[in-house]
Amino acid sequence: MTTTPTLRPRAQLAAIAWLRWRMFANSLRTTRGKAEVISRVLMTVFFTVAGFGGSFGSAVGTWYFVSHGKPEMLAVVFWAVFLFWQLFPIMSTAFTNNPDSGDLLRFPLGYRAYFLIRLAYGSLDPAAALGCMWLSGMLLGIAAADPLLVVWALPVVLLFAAFNLLFLQMVFAWLERWLAQRRTREIMGVLFILVMLSIQLIGPALQHFERQPATRKTLDLVVSVQAFLPPGLAADAIAQVSHGHFTIGASSFFFLGSIAALMGCLLHLRLRAQYRGENLNESAAAGVKREAHGLRLGWSLPGFSQVVAAVFEKEVRYLLRSGAMLLSLIVPLFMLVVFRLGPARSMWHTHFMRAPDVAFPAAAAYSLLALTNIVYNSFGGDAGGIQFFFASPAHFRQIVLAKNLMHAAIVLAHATLAWLLITLLYGRPALDVTVATLAGLLFAAPLNFTAGNLLSLYSPKRIDVSTIGRQRASQFTVLISLVVQLVIVAVGVAVFMLAHLYNNFWIATLLFVVLACLSLSVYSVVLKRADTIAIERREALVSELCRA
Amino acid sequence: MNSAPTIRTQGLTRRFGELLAVDGVNLQVAPGQFFGFLGPNGAGKSTTIKMLTGLLAPSSGQIEILGLDLNTDPVNVKRQIGVVPEGMALFGRLTGSEFLNFAGRMYGLDRTTAAQRAAELLDFMQLADQPKKLVTDYSHGMQKKLAMAAAVIHGPKVLFLDEPFEGVDAIAAGTLKSMLQGMIARGATIFLTSHVLEIVERLCSHVAIIHQGRLVAQGSLEELRAGVEAQALAAGAGPSGDRASRDVASAEKLTLEEIFLRIVGGTRQEQELSWLG
Repeated sequence: MTTTPTLRPRAQLAAIAWLRWRMFANSLRTTRGKAEVISRVLMTVFFTVAGFGGSFGSAVGTWYFVSHGKPEMLAVVFWAVFLFWQLFPIMSTAFTNNPDSGDLLRFPLGYRAYFLIRLAYGSLDPAAALGCMWLSGMLLGIAAADPLLVVWALPVVLLFAAFNLLFLQMVFAWLERWLAQRRTREIMGVLFILVMLSIQLIGPALQHFERQPATRKTLDLVVSVQAFLPPGLAADAIAQVSHGHFTIGASSFFFLGSIAALMGCLLHLRLRAQYRGENLNESAAAGVKREAHGLRLGWSLPGFSQVVAAVFEKEVRYLLRSGAMLLSLIVPLFMLVVFRLGPARSMWHTHFMRAPDVAFPAAAAYSLLALTNIVYNSFGGDAGGIQFFFASPAHFRQIVLAKNLMHAAIVLAHATLAWLLITLLYGRPALDVTVATLAGLLFAAPLNFTAGNLLSLYSPKRIDVSTIGRQRASQFTVLISLVVQLVIVAVGVAVFMLAHLYNNFWIATLLFVVLACLSLSVYSVVLKRADTIAIERREALVSELCRA
Repeated sequence: MNSAPTIRTQGLTRRFGELLAVDGVNLQVAPGQFFGFLGPNGAGKSTTIKMLTGLLAPSSGQIEILGLDLNTDPVNVKRQIGVVPEGMALFGRLTGSEFLNFAGRMYGLDRTTAAQRAAELLDFMQLADQPKKLVTDYSHGMQKKLAMAAAVIHGPKVLFLDEPFEGVDAIAAGTLKSMLQGMIARGATIFLTSHVLEIVERLCSHVAIIHQGRLVAQGSLEELRAGVEAQALAAGAGPSGDRASRDVASAEKLTLEEIFLRIVGGTRQEQELSWLG
């Protein structure tokens, strides 16, 4: 009988650090891994510059506020650090994969070690590193302005840093809880995009409210409330001691500590549940419920084969079930509202043309841009399903055509909605401009689809259609699509300029129809070659899209 | 009855850079056979099945399915075969019913037939309970059953299955087995790879074994058994014959696992790990 080894948390933490290092070193074996390292080096340089720059800025700002007897204004710096520390990781998480500390639970890891690992992952975050650098800058600024004050400011700043670390990890831990299930994940995704979009409306809203006298009172109230929140409390703890009010300063410090402890407790609640083996799997949670259902026929697409109709239906269902993709398509329409209400609105009225006559072609062009990730990586969302396409007797040209029909339907829907929205917001676009724009789409869309089909086959990238920010095509695809779309937009602008010069937009329509004949011919040639290209690219497509 | 092989390969070879994954495989599978394709991990089973189903191009060699050349007439071949590949080839963001409907139409069924068969298959596979559940939310076993349903919806003459029973519970495995046996009874040919030798022994009439990319045995179970026993007899009959060979020779009936181990040269690990338990 052998003896059971004694658990040493320090050795376990060292083993995890080694694991992370090996994962990084092994990732360098692939070309993609090397490219990732290069981008990481560039990002590190960027973050270092930002860290030192921000540190210098916060040092100067802090020195100014303290030396000019306005230490309560330190709240501005604390708020800046807080907002960056908390918001940047939430935004960047949407674009990167985080290591799953839950995988470590299979090992005999003590709860304390597990808790520490979660905090360690958090402290390695770029936002935390930058936040700490900026807080160090604050300490330098205080030391330069009032050397004695730094003795008190040091524990305050450390406590504030600890609060930020605990708060962010707490938010992530609870987000993980919600993101673990598809339904809540998609709701969170939609909320995230709506928040991002609504930020663009803050400017116009503030401009609107600035003109009203009651707003000043509201802003005063906001300033008073912030004093009871962690950045305000940290600033108050330093300011009160600076003014000689030690008891009030200590109470603010104590209050800040209490909030940090509360965050720690909330984090503990979540991590404890994870540590005990919480299972958030939807299959396990879902009850078995028998529902009566009749025979459901697939869609029929008049004039097209069964295969085209089946793939078209599948594409539409995929789109409708991806909140993230759907919302990315709404952005161009939303931008019309923003431009109408935003600071750029005056530009539309002083422009050389009527606003609706500029807005409709611009919205149509933007609609095509918004389709980039879908058109230029059209097999990305199919993942393992690509094997089905290859195993089935369907021709790839039919599959590609069906996908393009869905893209064309989106373009058409976009153009219709944009036209209606522009009519509502700016006034009805002129008939000649409307027709010219539609003819322009007839030229631009097939060209865009042609380039998109080629890149979808030559540079595929597996995407997760359900997660925000995981719909991005490869960097190569993005670059080429940018060039193609710049050319298309340049041709479109040139045609419109020419028509404007002759003051006759029917000329634009005529030119676009001629160009559309050319682009449709190119599209048709490439579509006919889709089967040959797909067979040539079979292995690359399967290995990239079936990647686990 | 047509005696031409349903599946025939000649010199089938596949290289991945320096690695020779499949090396000159000559396979023959007769119509109506339940054919098991075995081999140790990394032997080339999945690579072979991918080439047979058009998911991977061979480096050299010829593949004929139902008398048609896969390289020159892929669409006609694919129309008559069903495939459950390694990754199951599912579309995760569809419901089970939508996926089967889609699969049926991709194989040329009209809308009504596709819908009818989809409903029947969902019932048969006991997947009809949650019609609104997306495939991505299915358990592994449920996904396997769905992949199988999609592979047979068009009534293929030949079915290729890569590890069909992996991760499937006993009840589901029973369902799948009865469906496959029914297909064999109606004249279909099934080609499957599996690590579960007991299942292969119970289901398959014929077996081929691939080892390090080469086909090392092919035939009915009886033929393979007789071959191994003959080899063992020859080795054990002489004065220098080892004890293991004599044991094999004297054994009543070799199991497929024993045949497999003898052919691929695998031996049980004799070394002891003294610190274990």
